[in-house]
Amino acid sequence: MAQETSKNIRVGAFVLIGTALLIFSLYLIGAKQNLFGSTFELKSQFKNVNGLMPGNNVRFTGIDVGTVKSVEIVNDSTVNVTMVIEDKVQAFIKKNATAMVGTDGLMGNKLINISSSIESSPSVEDGDFLISKSPLGTDDMMRTLNITNENVKDITIDLKNIVHRLNSPNTLWSILMDTIVAENVKQAIVNIKVTGERTALITGDLSRIVKHIKDGKGTIGALIADTTMAVKLNQSIVNIKLITDSLALVTGDMHYITSKVKKGEGGIGTILMDTTFVNNLNETMKNVRSGTKNFDEDMEALKHNILLRNYFKKKEKAAKKK
Amino acid sequence: MIKNIFIEIGLIARFTGRFFIEVFKPRFEFNEFLRQCFYIGNKSFPLVAITAFIMGLVITMQSRPTLVEFGAQAWLPKMISVSLVREIAPVITALICAGKIGSGIGAELGSMKVTEQIDAMDVSGTNPYKFLVVTRVMATTLMIPILAILADTISLYGGYLGCNIHGVVSWDLFWNQVFDTLVYADVLPSILKTFFFGFIIGIIGCYQGFNSSKGTEGVGQSANSAVVISSLLVFIIDLLAVQITDALNLN
Repeated sequence: MAQETSKNIRVGAFVLIGTALLIFSLYLIGAKQNLFGSTFELKSQFKNVNGLMPGNNVRFTGIDVGTVKSVEIVNDSTVNVTMVIEDKVQAFIKKNATAMVGTDGLMGNKLINISSSIESSPSVEDGDFLISKSPLGTDDMMRTLNITNENVKDITIDLKNIVHRLNSPNTLWSILMDTIVAENVKQAIVNIKVTGERTALITGDLSRIVKHIKDGKGTIGALIADTTMAVKLNQSIVNIKLITDSLALVTGDMHYITSKVKKGEGGIGTILMDTTFVNNLNETMKNVRSGTKNFDEDMEALKHNILLRNYFKKKEKAAKKK
Repeated sequence: MIKNIFIEIGLIARFTGRFFIEVFKPRFEFNEFLRQCFYIGNKSFPLVAITAFIMGLVITMQSRPTLVEFGAQAWLPKMISVSLVREIAPVITALICAGKIGSGIGAELGSMKVTEQIDAMDVSGTNPYKFLVVTRVMATTLMIPILAILADTISLYGGYLGCNIHGVVSWDLFWNQVFDTLVYADVLPSILKTFFFGFIIGIIGCYQGFNSSKGTEGVGQSANSAVVISSLLVFIIDLLAVQITDALNLN
């Protein structure tokens, strides 16, 4: 009997465990579909629901908050979708939120995405209609993608050409690859650097010079800074001006004299300009020459005169002694 | 040959009809029913549990490469949960039970028949059909769904282990995905059909045992036929069940 009871207990436990498991899993499935707990209903109207079915999830800001209760066709262009939403999110869904049919992943189940609007609005109430947005169809996506693909194709062809040209010899690529050019560029940069350094030194020197000048040191400094010197310089310039004025007068006089001479006026003018006078003078000079020649002969003859001969002999002897 | 098949089907139908008459008639053999529940349910559980666990593990590991090919290994818990709960666990449970319980009932009742114990019971005033058939059929009808529910759970554990052999799926994520995927349309029809599996295993086993003849050879034949016919009928019921759920738009 005791053995019988033990068997019965084991059967009871077995059945209980099995039933409990069934009830537990049924509860979990029901809880996932919002069959238990307090819920409220929202509605939306779509032109096309892309295969949405009762039981599909409803997401608000990416969280599963409910399920689709029914999908009913109203007329040829309107489908009425009723959603069952958990009560606890009611405060967060505003009246201006939009409902859109989407897909869970790339090829998953259809679902409804409720997205909130930026503008403020009161919270939804049971049975409210949400604004619907037409879903982004795969066909539309494919069409856009096709255009994009064409563009990418064109771009890659252009890019290929550019790369090809760059790669060919005697182009930018060869310049980039040329070590001599690189060396030259390097050298140029070194030179620029050296120039820069020198420029820096020069500007330093210039700065010092300017400072010196400002301080009144050196000749230029003295010129700029010394006021007495400036006065003297001014005086000198005035004197120079006076001299030039006098020179102008002198040249004016000279001009007057030379013009007189040219005209043959006055003594010098007569001498220079009178042709008869010149002829006379010429004749006179001839006479003087013949006169001196004769005088020279007379003098030579005189040397050999007894009275004067001794004097000349003595002169010759004295010259020889030297 | 065809005539024999019709005769056999007619006899099974009459036998089944008698069950529905006897089951509501007092006096109820409750202790015998509990005893049968123990032998059918509790004693079959280890075998069913091991089979279900292995099936869950194997199905998961076999499905994985195909899903990996599509980059959809994240869908592994979803896929195996549907296939295990809808089909594999109930059918495997039913087949195991057809083998173990069906043959047991067929052999036990067959040997009782050939040793004329059933006739003796009849003579002694005990209704053998009520005592032997009704209790056993009731036990199989009620115990096989329980076994199937346990097999569902255990096979899903096997699936969890299978998911974690080549990848990492956390305990929470696995069960979340399983219950995200499963709906009443998956669970209820599959549990409901196991009642029919249990009933058919019990009734075929009892029929074969009750109608065995030709001594010890007949007992073997009864056990064998019980297994073969009930296994076949399990598949036929499964086919009908899928047609009905399909017609009801539950698939």
